[in-house]
Amino acid sequence: MTRRVLVVAQAGVVPYAEALEWQRSLAQARIDGRLANDVLLLLEHPAVVTLGRNSHAGHLLSRDGIEVFEIERGGDVTFHGPGQLVGYPIIDLTRHTPDLHWYLRTLEQALIDALAALGVPAGRNPGYTGVWTRGGSRKIASIGIHVKQWVTWHGFALNVTTDLSQFGRIVPCGIPGVEMTSVDRELGAGSREQELWDETVAAVIRGFAQAFGVETELLDDIQLLLTWRQADGVERKTCHGLA
Amino acid sequence: MATNVYMEALSPTMEEGRVVKWHKRDGDPVKAGETLAEVETDKAVMDLVARADGVLRQVAAAEGQTVAVGSVVAVIAAPGESVGPSVNAPPPVTSGSGKRDTGNVVTVTAPAPVAVAPLPAAAPADATRVKASPLARRIAKEAGVDLQLVTGSGPGGRVVKKDLERTPSQGAPVASAAGAAVPSPVSRVPFPERTGAAYQDVPLTQIRKTIAKRLAASLGPIPHFFLTTEVDMERASEARDALNKQLGDQGKVSFNDIIIKATAHALTKHPACNAWFQEDHIRYWREVHIGMAVAVEDGLITPVIRNADMKPLADIGREAKELAEKARSRRLQPTDYTGSTFSVSNLGMFDIDQFTAVINPPEAGIIAVGSIVQKPVVVDGQLTARRRMRITMSCDHRVIDGATGAAFLKTLKQMLENPLAMLL
Repeated sequence: MTRRVLVVAQAGVVPYAEALEWQRSLAQARIDGRLANDVLLLLEHPAVVTLGRNSHAGHLLSRDGIEVFEIERGGDVTFHGPGQLVGYPIIDLTRHTPDLHWYLRTLEQALIDALAALGVPAGRNPGYTGVWTRGGSRKIASIGIHVKQWVTWHGFALNVTTDLSQFGRIVPCGIPGVEMTSVDRELGAGSREQELWDETVAAVIRGFAQAFGVETELLDDIQLLLTWRQADGVERKTCHGLA
Repeated sequence: MATNVYMEALSPTMEEGRVVKWHKRDGDPVKAGETLAEVETDKAVMDLVARADGVLRQVAAAEGQTVAVGSVVAVIAAPGESVGPSVNAPPPVTSGSGKRDTGNVVTVTAPAPVAVAPLPAAAPADATRVKASPLARRIAKEAGVDLQLVTGSGPGGRVVKKDLERTPSQGAPVASAAGAAVPSPVSRVPFPERTGAAYQDVPLTQIRKTIAKRLAASLGPIPHFFLTTEVDMERASEARDALNKQLGDQGKVSFNDIIIKATAHALTKHPACNAWFQEDHIRYWREVHIGMAVAVEDGLITPVIRNADMKPLADIGREAKELAEKARSRRLQPTDYTGSTFSVSNLGMFDIDQFTAVINPPEAGIIAVGSIVQKPVVVDGQLTARRRMRITMSCDHRVIDGATGAAFLKTLKQMLENPLAMLL
């Protein structure tokens, strides 16, 4: 069996629109064969609500970091914000198992393994994609993916130290009455925030290595991954206002 | 030779997929590898990708429709190639078998490209051929008029330019037998006669062109800017209570209905904000059709309250309720959610104080409405509790400049703060 590498890039806090653009660029590069390995982007978003869109209107992504995004893909209302570990795997499923359900379940498995390592027992809730704790009564991670020519983007959002009251603004994932939770909440008080974050990131990376059967390589600088964009003639976005 | 586009399976257990969005429309040129449509199954959205170069034809699955894996959802024809009206009801192909039935498409070696009727047209095949002058065809295409519904006055019933110059409000020559064409107004109140065409097209001036180009290049497809104001809703609340008391069990007027009505009214006084951006011109509408963003289970859609400026509040309330119910049960017809000239999005019920909404193209503006909150304000030097609401207007800078948007917003604020102003 050939050696499969997953490049893990930690990008810090990234505005939603920018991360979406990265994902699309990376996925297209993976489709075109310009990107040799699978990639896992790990990041945080500033507080943002995303609404899936199901109407006739065209692309409606706003680019300047506003609080509510109406995006054109299907899917439910969700919240992203500080303290939530967001992962966007750009994975070529033809190199793994070309099966969307296998991918969803393996994604869940990677997170379940990671949470187990942190001391948080978690599992699936049949019929409701995502990762749940306390026998399916609390949701700790949401999953929503996009696939084009077997290459994936979008991914998961795992609450680590997320301010859970923010979910009160929405009906998370369109499931009324769902109770959201976080690693912090499940472990109880006393965990130090930065430590907990670092431990969670490490556990998630190990979870991916195990569930997907890949070797992980850490990449310090996300820009290295994106440099080919310039070669492509894709200009970096700049803002020239009209005075 | 035409290539079929199939609903693909991304899992052995996937039996059907729901088309959530078409990226390409009937008649659009497509290249191999381009995304044609997005399909949703479980928590995943996948792209249906073109397998050949050509022109997309015979789109047989509407957005929101669920289709069995293996069904033909469209056809990619060679440019100029006509395809027969054959894929109306694609027979499901056994999933997972890999069997692909190419017999669905009839390749016709017609010398000239023929206008292909969009499905599901139950009309006989020869009905797709409409006699029309090239100029009339162009005008009809730009105006979105279906030539099949127009009675031609030229030789042999040929549709010519003058047949398209009459607008529906002046009694357009619409074939009544065609049925589906004209949405029936819900209100039984006859509208006052509006004179002239429903809109006026103004060519872009040089400075408008430059503004359009520069702002679009700098910020993305639509150069948004945002204006926020806080509105005192005390009098609107009182008016609403009084109206509802009077209506009794005849219906209910919501704040959203009042906002829709006030927005429509304010637009009649600021037609510069009631417009569509159309590449080389701006279409200023003389009619006001308000799109109303409705959250549905897995997204949102904006059904339209037509002529909202002319309808009584009770009618708007009734219509808004009907449309929202239809939206949630996925029974909206395309005529229910197209043609709006301006939109209103309300997240007040989610306890959102203030937000910015994304413009619904080709409209030039949208109002984002936050929740009504009691807060301390100073009125006539006295600290007092008032019900306040923040509204934010998103403007397309190619159409609306800052001062233009601000003037409209000021009128809207005045109308909400003093609902009687709507009678002026």
